[in-house]
Parts: sequence; C-alpha cells; structure tokens
Amino acid sequence: MAKAPAGDLDRRRREPGLDYAPLPGIADEMMDGDGGIRPAWRQFTTALAAMSEHQLHERFARADRYLRDAGVFYHSYASEPHAERHWPLSHIPVLIDDREWAIVSEGLIQRADLMETVLADIYGDNRLVGEGLLPPSLIGSNPEFLRPMVGVKPAGGHYLHFCSFEIGRGPDGKWWVLSDRTQAPSGAGFALENRVATTRSFSDLYAEMHVHRLASFFGSFRETLQAQRPSPDHRIAVLTSGSANETYFEHAYLARYLGFMLLEGEDLAVVNRQLMVRTVAGLKPIGALWRRLDASYADPLELDQTSHIGAPGMVEALRSGSAMMINALGSGILETRALLAFTPAIARRLLGEELKLPSIATWWCGQENERNHVAANIERMVIGPAFSTRPFFDDQGQSVLGRSLRDTARERVGDWLATDGAKLVGQEVVTLSTTPAFQDGKLVPRPMSLRVFAARTERGWQIMPGGFARIGAGDDVAAIAMQAGGTAADVWIVSETPVATPTLLPREGTVERAAPGSLPSRAADNLFWLGRYTERAEGSLRILRAWHQRFSEAADPRQPLLADVAGYLEAVGIYAASSGVPAPLLHSIESASYAAGNIRDRFSPDGWLALTDLARTARRFHETVSPGDDAAHAMTVLLRKLAGFAGLVHENMYRFTGWRFLSIGRYLERGLHMTRLLGHMSGADAPDGAFDMLLEIGDNVMTHRRRYNVNTTSLTVTDLLALDPVNPRSILFQLNELRTEIEQLPNAYVDGQMSEVFRQIMRLQSGLAVMTADDMTKDGYVKLERDMEYLSETLARTYLA
Amino acid sequence: MRYDLSLHMGYAYDVPASNARHMIRLLPLEIPGRQTLLDGSIDVSPSPEDMTTFTDFFGQPATSVLLRAPHRRLDIRMKARVLVEDCPVRPENWTTLRDLPKELAAIWSLDPASPHHLAAPGARTPYVPEIATFAGDMTQSEQTVREVAFALCDCIHREFAYDGNATTVDTTPQEAFRLRRGVCQDFAHVMIVALRSLGIPAGYVSGFLRTNPPPGQERLEGADAMHAWVRVWCGDAMGYVELDPTNNIAAGADHIVVAYGRDYADIAPVIGVLRGHGGQTIEQAVDVVPHD
Repeated sequence: MAKAPAGDLDRRRREPGLDYAPLPGIADEMMDGDGGIRPAWRQFTTALAAMSEHQLHERFARADRYLRDAGVFYHSYASEPHAERHWPLSHIPVLIDDREWAIVSEGLIQRADLMETVLADIYGDNRLVGEGLLPPSLIGSNPEFLRPMVGVKPAGGHYLHFCSFEIGRGPDGKWWVLSDRTQAPSGAGFALENRVATTRSFSDLYAEMHVHRLASFFGSFRETLQAQRPSPDHRIAVLTSGSANETYFEHAYLARYLGFMLLEGEDLAVVNRQLMVRTVAGLKPIGALWRRLDASYADPLELDQTSHIGAPGMVEALRSGSAMMINALGSGILETRALLAFTPAIARRLLGEELKLPSIATWWCGQENERNHVAANIERMVIGPAFSTRPFFDDQGQSVLGRSLRDTARERVGDWLATDGAKLVGQEVVTLSTTPAFQDGKLVPRPMSLRVFAARTERGWQIMPGGFARIGAGDDVAAIAMQAGGTAADVWIVSETPVATPTLLPREGTVERAAPGSLPSRAADNLFWLGRYTERAEGSLRILRAWHQRFSEAADPRQPLLADVAGYLEAVGIYAASSGVPAPLLHSIESASYAAGNIRDRFSPDGWLALTDLARTARRFHETVSPGDDAAHAMTVLLRKLAGFAGLVHENMYRFTGWRFLSIGRYLERGLHMTRLLGHMSGADAPDGAFDMLLEIGDNVMTHRRRYNVNTTSLTVTDLLALDPVNPRSILFQLNELRTEIEQLPNAYVDGQMSEVFRQIMRLQSGLAVMTADDMTKDGYVKLERDMEYLSETLARTYLA
Repeated sequence: MRYDLSLHMGYAYDVPASNARHMIRLLPLEIPGRQTLLDGSIDVSPSPEDMTTFTDFFGQPATSVLLRAPHRRLDIRMKARVLVEDCPVRPENWTTLRDLPKELAAIWSLDPASPHHLAAPGARTPYVPEIATFAGDMTQSEQTVREVAFALCDCIHREFAYDGNATTVDTTPQEAFRLRRGVCQDFAHVMIVALRSLGIPAGYVSGFLRTNPPPGQERLEGADAMHAWVRVWCGDAMGYVELDPTNNIAAGADHIVVAYGRDYADIAPVIGVLRGHGGQTIEQAVDVVPHD
C-alpha cells in the first residue's frame, strides 16, 4: 500500500495532549502506522487527553472500588490455598471498530462450526483419521480422548455450545487464532465484571460512544438453553468443582447473573438414567448442565476413578441423552496443541474453504517432513508439548523459544525431535499488537491478546461483542512473553451509529417466577451450618464478654462465679483466662465463613464482605487481645460486626427456602446455647451473681427489671430465659420459631400427615410450652438438649443429605 | 475346551452403605474364532433399583447397577458356559522392534482393535523411568517384537515373586517393580509399562484360568480368583499375542478372556461408588470347570 500523501497526513487526527508512542514495527490498536489515532478511538482519546492525571486516578479508583466491593477475585493455586487475588484490571479499554469485529466474528463462527464437525467425527465415524487428515496417534494417545463417550450422541444434537478463542494481531494488522478453548472456557463472567468496572471509570464516555452491549449475548444463550429443555420443570445448572477452584467466583457470578442453579457433583444424582439434582424438596430433573470442571472428573464410575467432585452415573445419563451438557464430555480434545497443525487441511476438506482466521502456524514433529522443517527453522520456533491443552503462552513454562536454547542444546535438536517428536510441536514465533495501558502516570504500549467467546443460540453461533483483553506485563511483544502474566482489560466494540442497549432484566409482561423448591440439599446444608456457626459464635462471645468484664474487676479467676463459668467454657475447649479470643471461637467464625463461601451465589456481596471482615478481625484479635478489659472490648466489637452480618441477612435475604434453613440453624443453636447455659447455671446452687450474669448473657437485664419487681432469682431467670414466648432469646421462643419454619418446609406434610421432623418439633414445642419455671430441672434441660440434637439429626437426614 | 464358570464376589459393610452404583465387567467376551459364550448371567443381591447393560468401547458388555437403599451386604454372582479354541501359533514373519513404529504409523484407524489405543500411558500404567531402563537394557532393535515380549515375560516371571500379601489392588507398577513381588495384576502392569516404553502397544486382559490342571500338569497361579495377563501388538501381519507373565506362558485354551483394556482401570471387574463410612470385607470365589 502506498504511503498517504502529505496533505492527508495533516488532516489525520492526532492528539497533542496524549504522550504515546507505539513500538517501532509493531501494530498498535490505538495508533495506525503513521501516528494517527484510529477512528474508533478518537472520541475516547480526545476525552482522555483532556483529563488531568489526578482526574484519571480518581476514575480508576472508582473501578477498583467496584471490583473490591463486588468481591471479584480469583484463586491462585500458586500461592497458599484459598488465597484470593483481586482481579487485575487494566483501566484503559481496548477499542475495536465494529466493522472489523464483524470480520473477526465471521472467522470465529466458521471456526466454531469446524470444531463441532471435527468433534462429532472424533467421537463418531473417524472419517478424518480414515482419510489421513488426522493422525490416529494424536487421538489414541490423547488423555483428553474419553473412550466412554465414543458413539454417544449428545442431547440436543450438538457437542459444543460455549467456546472461547484466544486471538492476537500480527504486524500486518491481521488477526491470528492462538488457541481454542472448548472444554470449559473461563472468563466470560470476568468479561462482564471488567465491563461494569471499566464503565465506572468512563461512565460518561460509555454513555456517549456507541459501544455494543454484552447483555444480549448472554440473554440469547440463556433463552436457547431454556427453550431446549424438555419441560420448564427441568433445571439448568452451572456445575462447579467447588469454592477452591481458581475461577469459582465466576461460576457463582454467572449462575446468579443467568438465574441458573450452582451445583457441585454431590448435588447430582442419576436415577433411571436421568440426571437429577438433590433438593430439599426431593430429586428434580436437570435439563442442561454448564460444566466448569474438566470432563474426566465428571464421573468416577466411567471416567477418572479417583475423582471426588463428579457424579457417579453421569456418563450413563448422557448415554441415554437425558441432559444437555455444555460442552460434551470429551470436547477438551480439541484444545490439543498439535491439532492446530491439521485444522487448515481439515477445514478445506470439511468446509471446502480456507480458514477465515488462520491459526498460528504449527508443525507436529511426529511426521518426518514437519520434524525436519522445525529442526531447520529452530530459530523461529516455539517448541512445546504436542498434547498440551494450554496455549504456549500460558502453559507454566513448558514451551521454550528455539532461539533461547543454548548452542549445545540447539545442535542436538535434531536428535531430540527424532526421539520425542510425536510428543512435540513447533509453532511459529508470533508477535502481538500493543494497546495503551496506564503506567507510572502515562500511557505505554503493552502487548495484548483477546479472549473472545462464542455461544450457540437458536440463530446459530453468536460472538460476544467484546470479551476481554490480556495485557502483557512488559513491552516484549513476543506472544510467549505473556507467560509472565499481566492484567486484563475491557474490550469495547465501537459503532459509528447507535447500538441497542438490552439488559438481562426481564422485560415487562414476561416476568416468570422460578419454581420454588429448587434449593439444592448441599446449599441448604451450608446455610443451616452458617446459621448454627454464627449463632454459636455469638453465644461464646456473649459468655466471654460477661466473663472478661467480671475478670477485669475481680482479677481473680478463682472467684466462685468466674471459676464456675470458666469450667463451663472448658467443656467446649475454651480457656477463658489464658487467651483473649480463643481458638474455638475463631473456629466457629471461620466455619461460618467457609459455609458461606460454598454458597456465594446466594449472598449479596455486602453480606459476604461483612462476614469476611468479621473473620479478619477475629483473626487479628486472636493474635493480639489479652484477657480482661481488652478482651471484653474485643468481644463487643465482634458482637457488633456479627450483628451487622445478621442484620444484612435479616433485612435483605429473600424469605425463601434457603433463608428458612439459615434461620432454623440459628434458632436451633440459640436454643441449645440457652438450654445448656440454664442447665448449668440456673439451679439453686448457682454461685453468687450467676443469675445477673445469665441475664446479661441473654441481653435481658432491662426486661427483667421491668417485668419482675423482685431481685433475680432462679425462678424469675428461668421464667424469662426459658419459658417467655415473647423474649427472642428464650428457649420457648426458639422452639416456636422452629415450629413455624419447619411447617413451611417442603414436605412438612406427607399425604396429609405430619413428617417425622415436623412431628418432633411439635412434640418438643408443646412439651415446653406447658411448663412452669418450677418444673424446670437439670435433668429436664439435659433431655431438652438431647431432643434438640435429635431434631437436628432428623432434619439433616430429611433435607440435607 | 468347554468350561462352566462361576464367580461370587461378596461385600460386607461395617456400616450400611447407600446410594451405591457399581459397574460390573464379569461376563466372558465373545471372540470370533477363539471364544464363544454359550450362556451367561449376572445376578446382584439385593435386587438393584436400576440395572442396565451396554457394550463399552473395547467391546465388553458392562452392567451398571444402582442400589440407593441402605444395605449391609452386596453379592454379585456370575455364571457362564464358554467354549474356548486353542490359538494356533503361526511362526511367520514377525516384525522387528526397529520396524514397528513404521507399521504402527501406517495404521490409519481408531477402531477398538487399533493398536493406537495401547501406545500411551494409562491411568494405572504411567511411564516409569526405571521400568523403561529395565526393558531397554534387555532388548535390541533387531529382535522381533515377539522375542522381546517373551523375554520380558520370562524375566518378570523369574525375577518377581508371586505374593498375595505384598501388594493391593491400588499398588502402582513402580511399587510392584521395586518390591519385585505381587500378583497377576502387578505383573501385567509392569510388563505393559515396559513394553510401551519400548514403543510396543500393549494392553491388559482380565479373565479366568481353569481351576484344576489337566492330569500331569502343574496347577497355574491365580486360578482361585480372577486372572490378568497382557496383550502385545506384534506388528501389522501378526497382530496381537497374549502372554501371561504370572505363569510365563502364552495364553491358550486355559485362559478365558473377560475384557480387554489399556490397564486395570478400564476393565476392573467391579467399580463401585457408594455413600458410607466404615470398612468393608470382600470375599471372592471362582470355579472354572472343564467339560470334555
């Protein structure tokens, strides 16, 4: 192409306020080769140039605050387990003209169709092998080739429903496909969060510019899945390997965003070859499962027998075509790096056309000619494992740059390739384009690749208008340098004309309520224990606060009341005098966090933040706080934080089945706490001051003063804390509430008869309701405690297993 | 030779098990020209809530059973009548180790009998460097694949002690190799790893041995339980040869094939997943009676 004449150059838009220089000879997303700003970027850069550095930082801070408040994180396996990392956002989005995007989309749709056909062939007739287009050893020796899936026709007729592609732009401005993700591609949820965060920084520009929205992409995908299930009773679910997974946040986020259930393997059951979910209302059929775990873990019976996160019988359910799997088990084989070497010829054979977006040039060294080519051009090659399913820039350093081999090693490349050729591929060293990133107060060019998502809808494949960009950490544009990590940026597909602005909120007139009774048993279990652990923590906190207040005055742990209560606490492993915030208390709080962490999709980010803040504070206090006044104060702080969490739950959580299990957990634990405490301290032989302390622990000092015109006695305390139906801390109050909640649970009545759980709580509640304070004995409390524990077990057996 | 086979596997659970699902591969295989299944049945007690049989990738009928209700015992019984022909040995043109890769690469097929399924490490047969060294040290590329396989079979038989207490069903080939002890499963796994390290496709065979030897012959090891041996791909012309390293013989009319796989993981007789805690006791009884 001829250079633009000088007159034209003057008319190009430059941005004087923008101090930005692309790297020589490297394509840049924002600037063209002549230093002009590309049209899609002009409005954005003009606005950017007018902002002071201070203003920019303020804008970026808004995005960061959003990500923090929303709790966007990912796990890093490299560091300690359960360490959560904040999502590393590069604040400047990548802008792409929608006419160019249309070309990219067309290429990726062709590719997704090709992938589907290849997969159907690998698990079907094997024509590609028969015709010599695909070496059989690449399939036969491939760990992703799942033999039990051979010949299994997918429900709905398709193997692939959701894929992603990593693409990069070469120096000539053309896009290349670097890798295909077909197993369980991650990142779509992060793309959404990137978008929300970035628009916090640039809400004005986002509103003014014509940026294609992401919502309709997800909307079409959801509608397609909903339309394809056999009945509205069939659930759609996201299958996660659990809260320890690297991208668990995204699993929970997508489930919440799309209104799908979030399930783990143990939630699933296969009965009569139908995939089902265990819910508190019994087994419910699954219509479609969007799996976010690798296929081999999906079924310990027919796939990886060591898996503990799958569902036994899943393959059998799929063999009978009872549920749609996104994507089919076995689809990970398409991610095999060596396959890239064969896709161009396969495209010509199967589609009768060339790939519209070429793959990165790849040679499988299991073939002689290819092996020789790689050996002869080792300087221009990246060598990596043939069966790797990770792209060479993200495979934990398994791939090496040919030119980085030492001289001696390079001489031996021929031998190496001859011996291990079948296990190796050579890939052309490619460079990426750069895009501006903000660093040290200015814009600098950083290499980038895009992750683009494709979803199968009723109108064929749809490409997400955007996705996310991976931004390299340094200025090395060799694609392999992306191994070093970096940040992620939003991608704006910009139109010259206005774009539609759909949202995923239901349109008027189409409101549809999800069927009740869909609460998975495991989620109910976690909610129940979350309730119990938070209440257990509160019980310990209240006793400890009362104890430390008295201890700070008396300073003598041998004082009868202090000794008596210390003895009570020792029975549960708490040694009041030797530590401020004892380990068992910390354990209750951390167990509550853990339970909540398993059901993140059911919590508002506010509730989660309140709980993690409580746990963090408790850990700090555990290290620093000493017994006495210091501890009493610490307990007050923790009680306040706990009340904050309880308040958020109470005020904001939808009063559905999940909420009932949380409440039941709390009532039960609070009832147990008060029963044990009264059994220990309310007798006539209680030490001096025990009754007042009981009232303080029960938060009932004022009430007692108002209700009883006498001093505290065993009878008045028992009446108020055990039998008063309007005192929210009395035992009877807990039993009344338990009865109300349990009656509302699914199957409280079976064929018009009370269920076993309901019968038990009725018996317990009415038994206590007719008591007087005189009737309450130590033995009575012991029996009451045992009956409540028994109720808990029956409840767990009925609903939580 | 015609055999009447019976097998009983009994499981006793200390604590009742529930939500149990088992995959059973016990019926003798139908192999044209070699083995005919005249009659066969599998019986499970307690009676399963669901029971289906399908043919797995390698052609073995697999029966899947579901037992959701709590149970203290599980009994699986198999009965079959099977006709086994003696495989004639064909001393023809055996492929050398050197030529094997070329012949393998010329097989453009992935059907269940294709050697391409048996070339790579499996779930229970990973690559073990020390076994590769052991195999490499005793072979030369001019040898035929058949000679190599027989030599390995002989060597394992000589150097390894048959010892039912040294290993368990979960023992890895590396552990068994270091112990130089084990049972049929261990010897088969070690031999498979050794063969594959030389580039020879090799697979696992599960089956039965006749319980009592013909008059005048010694009783074979492994006849009191299910047996396992090895299948070796010897090149395009000769196809597969089956060798039994436990007894250092080629599999013949005394060997009744139940299933072919890459290793034990593919074709374990019973794979089970259940909800329960506490231990279990397993008993196994096998009877293989020849009829003339």
